[in-house]
Amino acid sequence: MRRRQGLGFWLALGWIGLILLAALLADLLPFARYDETLAGPPQSGPSAAHPFGTDGLGRDVLSRVVYGARVSLGVGIGAVLLGLGIGAPLGILAGYRRKAADAVIMAVNDVAQAFPALVFALAVVAFAGANLRNVLIVLGVLGVPSWVRLIRGATLTFAEREFVLAARVLGTRDRRILWREIVPNVAVPAASYAFIGMAVVVVAEGSLAFLGLSVQAPTPTWGGLINEGRTLMETAPHVVLAPSIAMFLTVLSFNLVGDRLRSLTDVRESGLEPVRQAAPALPATTHPVRDVLLQVEDLRTHFVTPRGLVKAVDGVSFTLERGRTLAIVGESGSGKSMLIRSILGLLPGTSVRGGNVYLAGDDLTSYTAAEMRSVLGPRLGTVFQDPMTALNPVRTIGTQVMEPLRVHMSLTRRQARAEAAKLLASVGIPDPVRILRRYPHQLSGGMRQRVTIAMALSCRPDVLFADEPTTALDVTIQDQVLRLLHRQREERDMAVVLVSHDLSVVARWADEVIVMYAGKVVERGPAAEVFARPRMPYTEALLQAAPRLTDPVHHRLRVIPGRPPDLVDLPEGCAFRARCAYADERCEREAPPLFEDGHDRRRYACWHPRTQAQDGTAAAPSSDVTDVAEGAESGGR
Amino acid sequence: MIVLHRLIRLLVVLVVVTFLSFVLLNLLPGDPVTQILGLSATEEARAQLRQELGLDQPLLVRYLDWLGGLATGDFGTSYITRMPVGSELAERLPVTLELLVAAQVIALGLAIPVGVAAARRAGRALDQALTALSFALLSTPVFVLGVLLILVFAVTWQVVPATGWTPISLDLGWNLTSVILPAVTLGAGQLAVYARLLRTDLIATLQEDYITLARARGLSPRRILWRHALRPSAITLITAVGLNLGALIGGTVIIETLFGLPGVGRLIVDSIFSRDYLTVQGGVVLISVGYVVVNFTVDLVYAAVDPRIRRA
Repeated sequence: MRRRQGLGFWLALGWIGLILLAALLADLLPFARYDETLAGPPQSGPSAAHPFGTDGLGRDVLSRVVYGARVSLGVGIGAVLLGLGIGAPLGILAGYRRKAADAVIMAVNDVAQAFPALVFALAVVAFAGANLRNVLIVLGVLGVPSWVRLIRGATLTFAEREFVLAARVLGTRDRRILWREIVPNVAVPAASYAFIGMAVVVVAEGSLAFLGLSVQAPTPTWGGLINEGRTLMETAPHVVLAPSIAMFLTVLSFNLVGDRLRSLTDVRESGLEPVRQAAPALPATTHPVRDVLLQVEDLRTHFVTPRGLVKAVDGVSFTLERGRTLAIVGESGSGKSMLIRSILGLLPGTSVRGGNVYLAGDDLTSYTAAEMRSVLGPRLGTVFQDPMTALNPVRTIGTQVMEPLRVHMSLTRRQARAEAAKLLASVGIPDPVRILRRYPHQLSGGMRQRVTIAMALSCRPDVLFADEPTTALDVTIQDQVLRLLHRQREERDMAVVLVSHDLSVVARWADEVIVMYAGKVVERGPAAEVFARPRMPYTEALLQAAPRLTDPVHHRLRVIPGRPPDLVDLPEGCAFRARCAYADERCEREAPPLFEDGHDRRRYACWHPRTQAQDGTAAAPSSDVTDVAEGAESGGR
Repeated sequence: MIVLHRLIRLLVVLVVVTFLSFVLLNLLPGDPVTQILGLSATEEARAQLRQELGLDQPLLVRYLDWLGGLATGDFGTSYITRMPVGSELAERLPVTLELLVAAQVIALGLAIPVGVAAARRAGRALDQALTALSFALLSTPVFVLGVLLILVFAVTWQVVPATGWTPISLDLGWNLTSVILPAVTLGAGQLAVYARLLRTDLIATLQEDYITLARARGLSPRRILWRHALRPSAITLITAVGLNLGALIGGTVIIETLFGLPGVGRLIVDSIFSRDYLTVQGGVVLISVGYVVVNFTVDLVYAAVDPRIRRA
């Protein structure tokens, strides 16, 4: 995708072009020569004849600035080319022939960084003579280590890429690989650094000139002009301001162009572009508020992405009572995790949320940020998928477990520490007092997940949201953690919302199931009923894709054909139809509503519901085979 | 073990840097003998002085001689001023150090709030304004910024002296007024670098799971930002501060010249002009040692900030 460079980039390029042109054509421009004294009255301010005024000897300042550009840009271009000429071959060699060169490069870098470059530039120029050639050579050579580092880095990233490895495996000659594959790819970072290097050299030359160690008078240089001008600062500030501004604009332009070129190749920053446009607001709706612990009504979450509107959660409703577990199942990208975040109000700023979430009758969507914070923790607890990233790596376990206790329950440090130790013990962590002093990286994955569960439980929540709590764990640990969650639910009389793509987990621990597809609920009901008699073909396919212990040997697992749909601009009709064996014209035209099946809690969204158990699908997947159930998820995370 | 390994490596770097600078300075045209005696001196007088100064010895012998002296803390005696180089450097060092520390305090003191503010509102107007401002600061050469600051604060408003130095021992108040302008000049560019680094790292950290989970525990944005996000985001910043502190000891040359401060940078420049090799060489040692020491310290600070590194 082509990205716009913005006005600044073009203005900067324009300024560089203008300065270059002026420097080249200085002799033809209609002003007095830089060394013509008394071209105007000395120290006169800007006027029509002398746009930038005149200096102490009556010389035209504009003319001197333009001629000064010759030195600055000349040295800049020369030094950059010199640095590139020496640095690029060395850098490519070091990046490509890694082993031997690496050690040398590292050593040279160490020395180069400890080497006082500016002092050396000063010494060399002072001793060898202050003239254009010496300044150019010194600044060029001093730039070589940076060039080597840059080119080596760029080469390294490409030398490991598939196409280069492939060429190597095919026995292509190294020289050919270098010219064909590597050099073109290194060119963009090199071009970017050439501009930034220009800025560096222009400043360095200016510094030397400022100290009187660049091209000597009468030839003007920017640094020299600034040095001369500062003696007249009190009476004629324009003399110092004109070269200062010219220099600032030039350095700024080179930096800006270099930076924009760099960001072309930098994927890290590409996600940070602001999305200016918010998704259209969703209409407010009213619902009868029921007497249950958690009621979600018509919840919607929409995002604007650079590609279009994404309906991540699209009209989800459910209720949940105390002491029960609700499972939300579906493939990756079906909106399961986004649903949890929508309920908790933990969405990125660019999203828009609609619908209502009632916690014991109170509408959470009407809460202010501060009110919401008083609910998060004490009433709603959260556990995430990956315990490796769920804990702050630089804070001790104790600090992290104690924090919600101190913030929400206003415990003293001592009380919080005692309570934290109790909590860790209750989730089965041996020697909790010692663990409190540990850092996350010192614990195993299973231990960390126990810690995050302890944290989620610390303020005695009414509802615990567990977003794939065992997916990132070892098989042997998974069952332990699920047992722990279940036991805590019983002991604390909580409700649990369990997000999972693992049907065996769901079959064993959930009371009710919601099946999600493309942001919508496509089937829901009591877990036993849904597994025994799936109505929606997607649910059926999910069940068939999960292996069971009762399967005969060499039984072939069925996979769901196709991929989950792209959520950007979903077409009309049923989102599953492209992968569905039973789809017809109607599925193409109309999205099926959630039909009621027998009773209010059992629902499905399909025009062609399965009427009876298909061969072998009647049995719920065995909960003893947690390890192979990963197959149910066709999309990788 | 790691510490020892690093120490040895740094020591090697020091030896290489001093050797290179020694050779380079001696290979350059220009001769201290001519500088002292003038062009009209007789060949005999020159030879005698050469012998007196030890300049008739081979380069390597002179280097080893000098290195041996350095090991005992002797920087040698200046050919030109006939003064011990060590004491001269010692006299100038406090000025440069004060300037450096003041500049870093200003830069970091502003960069942290600025970086945090920009990261919190990434992509919005304030962030874009701060990014543009730091880009402009980065593109302003120190001598340009220094001249502008002098023009505004010393010449136009006359709130601080344009040049000159008052030591702390003489008068603290005057000392601070004489250090403030150079420190701001030196710190401005650093401020821009630090704020940008912190902003980028903070934005990445704020997208981590543990930050979302901290929000899920109902912690306030302020608490999350300062207690949860700042420290894991500080590693790059610390590296930059370390590298800068090392590199800046040489970079104060311009500032000290511009503001007339009697620091190490100024001494080096003056010595270069007067062909005072040993003093220049002493300055180089000081800068390299400073760089090496700062780097070593930064490694230790890493471990304090990020417990994961302590394992290594």
